[in-house]
Amino acid sequence: MSGNWTLEEAAVYAVTASGNKRIIGPVDGSFRQGRITLLAGANGAGKSTLLETMAGLRALQSGSVALGESSLWEKGKRGKMRLNRSVLLDTGISLQHSEAQWFAPKVSEEFRFSLKPYKLPEVEQEERIRKAMKATGLPLQLADADPWTLSGGQQRRLSLACLLACQPKWLLLDEPTSGLDTAGVSQLLDVLRVHREAGGGAVISTHDLDALLPIADEVAVMEDGLLLQAVPAAEWAAAHASDGAAPQALRVLAELQRTGIEISRNSKADLWPSSSELARALASQFVRHPHEEVQEVIPRSVQPAAAVGMGHQASSDVFISEHRLQHTVTISGTSPYTGVSAAGLASRFDPRALILSYVLLAAAILMQGRWPGIAAAALLTGVVLFPLRAQIRPWIKVIRAYSIMIAAIAFIAGIQLKPFGFEWTNAQFTLLRFSGLLLVMLLGLPMLAMVTPLRVQRAIEQTFGWLSRFKVPVSSAALTVTLIFRFIPLLGSEWQRFATIAHARGKATTQLGSLPVAMLFPVIIPYIRSLLRLAEQLADALEARGIGNPNGKPTRGFVLQFTARDALLMLAALLSATLLIYVNTAV
Amino acid sequence: MKTNLLLQLTGVTVRPFSAAEQEELVAILKNIHLGVEQGEWIALIGRNGSGKSTLLKLIAGFQAGEASGYLDWSDVLTARIGIKAPIVMQQPEASMVGATPLEDLIIMLEQNGVKGELIAEQAAHALVRTGMLKHAHQPVGTLSGGQKQRVAIAGCLAVEAPILLMDEPTAMLDPEAAIHVHEIVRELNRSGIAVIWITQKLDELREGDRVIALEHGEIVFNGAAEGFYDRSGGGAAESVCERLGFEAPYVVQTVWELEKLGVQLTGLPLTPAALAKAVHSR
Repeated sequence: MSGNWTLEEAAVYAVTASGNKRIIGPVDGSFRQGRITLLAGANGAGKSTLLETMAGLRALQSGSVALGESSLWEKGKRGKMRLNRSVLLDTGISLQHSEAQWFAPKVSEEFRFSLKPYKLPEVEQEERIRKAMKATGLPLQLADADPWTLSGGQQRRLSLACLLACQPKWLLLDEPTSGLDTAGVSQLLDVLRVHREAGGGAVISTHDLDALLPIADEVAVMEDGLLLQAVPAAEWAAAHASDGAAPQALRVLAELQRTGIEISRNSKADLWPSSSELARALASQFVRHPHEEVQEVIPRSVQPAAAVGMGHQASSDVFISEHRLQHTVTISGTSPYTGVSAAGLASRFDPRALILSYVLLAAAILMQGRWPGIAAAALLTGVVLFPLRAQIRPWIKVIRAYSIMIAAIAFIAGIQLKPFGFEWTNAQFTLLRFSGLLLVMLLGLPMLAMVTPLRVQRAIEQTFGWLSRFKVPVSSAALTVTLIFRFIPLLGSEWQRFATIAHARGKATTQLGSLPVAMLFPVIIPYIRSLLRLAEQLADALEARGIGNPNGKPTRGFVLQFTARDALLMLAALLSATLLIYVNTAV
Repeated sequence: MKTNLLLQLTGVTVRPFSAAEQEELVAILKNIHLGVEQGEWIALIGRNGSGKSTLLKLIAGFQAGEASGYLDWSDVLTARIGIKAPIVMQQPEASMVGATPLEDLIIMLEQNGVKGELIAEQAAHALVRTGMLKHAHQPVGTLSGGQKQRVAIAGCLAVEAPILLMDEPTAMLDPEAAIHVHEIVRELNRSGIAVIWITQKLDELREGDRVIALEHGEIVFNGAAEGFYDRSGGGAAESVCERLGFEAPYVVQTVWELEKLGVQLTGLPLTPAALAKAVHSR
């Protein structure tokens, strides 16, 4: 079965601190079976998101995605949206940076992980693994190797091979040539040709047009989350021949044409002549007109005339960018950095004031032993958080889970065994304590967004700086805090990356947020490995910039100043805390 | 040492740290002799694992393994406070510490011991030179890969390094951003800063670049870009580029094909524009 992809008004949003943000959409368009479509466009235009959406790895905010007659998402038994299994089995996606994402200790088991959802007989599995390894140029001896020990290029090949073994009708590939050497790229092209001949289709997001444009049928450009009309590859090539980022062969033709040299070509089948074809065409001109001006040579042009005009544009692009560079430099000469001074950093609250205020309020909230006090604290928390609600939004799920947990614990605390019954006072006591904790937690959530690592570092250095006279390594400790700040967000994003890979390869039909429990286990080891690798990279990068050098003597580029605003903030916190304590004792 | 020499490596060999005493590990770099002059552009080429990044770390003065041999810095480098020569890495994410470009630069300058009162001005000036001034206060998470690389380059400028060490800075960028970053560094090079540029993209070579090719930790070629593609020398009609298994850019392949047909162009063009000019002027 299978068929063409149809996207109608498909839109994907992401939850961010500043509200729901559109990533792609509304996307309308179709990808036809038996064709290879390239997705072009700048980084961040939404190419990867579009591929992930088609593979069911992104929930649709609105619109629909369908393969042939079947919709990708369908309503499940309990009204929850589930993915259509047959669409998933027909689709194979390889995500960006597909190396270093292995779940199994052996290459052959890595294949079986991908093949598991297809429920194939053992013989067929063996056969498919062999074929896929051969097609991608992996030696069969590697079947027993640990995938982590393979070279970078081999890991890229393995990732493609795992995909091919599943024999999906559709290949969705994200930057498949990155990290591949010349031989690897030509194997990839062979694989794609065979896939197309067998009636399969492919959507490939790529920057490597030099390699992939020659085998593409169509090019679709993504711009700012929108999918522009796909055009035939030859048409696209003609229109973009002079872009600075166009394949070099196209730019050569455009440059030659600009200097008045036309290249005649017999076959129009390829997008550009091979280097030997071009050389022959050029050489023939030299032979036939040894003394004439080259401009007048060869009237019959096969290249589209549009390229002539584009040639001028290209040269002016270069001019503009150089011009711009000089322009900004001169601006700096006349007005010495207005607006950018270290003082600009101090426009927000002093972290010391924030932390002290928080500690005061938290202490007052935790002292509450009765419901009126908790109610007052909740009211106060609401008032403080209202202007900061955007920072809370990403945490909503966690808060909900925590609230449910509190209710459950309170219920259990209330259960009495002898005699069997429910003791409300016990439950209430627990509920009271945990509610206070919840409020303290809620108040703390926006803190991360309100201070920046450097400001916290400076706050620690300025507060505890005097300790360094007693050989306490204050500035190293402060720098460590900065780096921890830097590393925390990576924990979440790396987990998300591995969960996505496991979801895609395991063909899970749930929404991405809820990875089936059976898939959690294989993800943990590669996740930890990857974190260690990230930490190493970070350490390398810091060393490479001279940060944290033990012999270095760090200076201070700016100093925190306690301002009237900070004093007001602390005064407000003090008043609120006093009020809360009063409520607790008086009521 | 010659006066315009920035640094020199003499007979340097690097082996990975090994846990076992007896185990003789394969050297990452073998007997490297290399001088870097002020203001020159060196393209460092080699396959994955050929030792490019290790060589760069070594030049910057980091411990990259058990090294033997000599590394001589010129007075320009020796006299520097803080880092001798910072490296811009491939992963734009990896090196950013601050929450905004300006914060990132301030942290880097503080850590490198630049005087406090000079920091704001040096940071701002470096942001201007990489065209990042208008993004100085933008949260790092909202910057594109190319913009992050420009911040990293700004960091090297801000500490006033006389040499930029670039470890495949364009590998993770889209073509437009890659061209932009490349062009900015070329501009800085024209202003007199030496650059060592590791790349896998041979179309980033320009006429007059010095190419150093590494294979299995050894320098197998050290000379002008034109020589790297030269097919005439050494008996076998194969250039260093082909011997190392790299695919030459379309322009160079066309020149080779022309040579086969007996057509010699003056000089070796490396860019489409240069090829068109060379063909036209013949």
